[in-house]
Amino acid sequence: MLAHRCAVERRRWLSEAEFGDVLTLCQFMPGPNVVGIAICVGAKTRGVAGALAAFVGFAVIPATIGFLFALLLLGQARAPVVQHTLHAISAAAAGLMIATGLRLLLRRHRRDLRAMAIAAAAFAALALAKLPLLLVLAVLAPLSVAATAIWRAKAA
Amino acid sequence: MTPLGRLTLFLALMSSISFGGIPPVLPDIRHFVVVAQGWLSDEDFVNFFALAQTIPGPNMILMMALVGWKVAGVPGALAAAGATAIPPCVLYFAGYRLWDRFRDAPWQKVARASLAPLTFGLVVAGGTVMAETVDTGWVSIAVTAAAAILLLVTRLNPMWMLGGAAVVGALGLV
Repeated sequence: MLAHRCAVERRRWLSEAEFGDVLTLCQFMPGPNVVGIAICVGAKTRGVAGALAAFVGFAVIPATIGFLFALLLLGQARAPVVQHTLHAISAAAAGLMIATGLRLLLRRHRRDLRAMAIAAAAFAALALAKLPLLLVLAVLAPLSVAATAIWRAKAA
Repeated sequence: MTPLGRLTLFLALMSSISFGGIPPVLPDIRHFVVVAQGWLSDEDFVNFFALAQTIPGPNMILMMALVGWKVAGVPGALAAAGATAIPPCVLYFAGYRLWDRFRDAPWQKVARASLAPLTFGLVVAGGTVMAETVDTGWVSIAVTAAAAILLLVTRLNPMWMLGGAAVVGALGLV
């Protein structure tokens, strides 16, 4: 990962372990993950000013450029070729999302049936039962935190 | 309330609970802007999704900026981008300080162990709902499946999957 190479290896803003912490935190905090990682690195090295610089550099500038580029492409969106291309890209992107979630789950929790059960419940609530995300989180987040705390207390 | 006001409030809520990034909030956002409010067609939504996933940069902010632009022009784009970017970034900043201060606290390990799998399940679910919206024929289903399988079993950069899909689409096969 480019951010890792720059922040840890070349500039030595953070140690390997600190970067790992940032990554775990940003993976399950709400919001755009890459921007989050940058904000954490910025906050760690330069406080509020660092976080603001990271926000401008990783969110404001790329989003503005991307937006202008997207508008240019959308100007052609009625052409069948463009329409078909975007449709196929969406199909692939949806597949990539599914695989990303699966890969993270399998890499971290392959042998952990309890974690798998939590993930399966979250999947069923959002994708099968089509419940609103806010409701799913309000019910499942406290439940899984409580269940994990109890399991750990028993194991100890 | 004006459509722009409703969209901004809704996106601020969604971005604040978008654990795991954009995938978990896609089903709710599609439901709100396409089904409930009727501001966008499914075709618009799919187009914006494709562009946001292809253009480098923060995909969630870009996608919501496009939704806002469709609803209320340039002011809509700015409001939607702000509502998507600012709440979670403030949370990141505050969250990181807490996280850093209590790095060895037991609650942090419990939070990590329970919320991480929850998030991953939501990411898979978001991708699945998006696939239901996009996959209208067997070719697009095959494209979704191929992209997922390639990411799981190879070390290919995902851009290859998106590029391959673009070729399939440009040839008019979907």
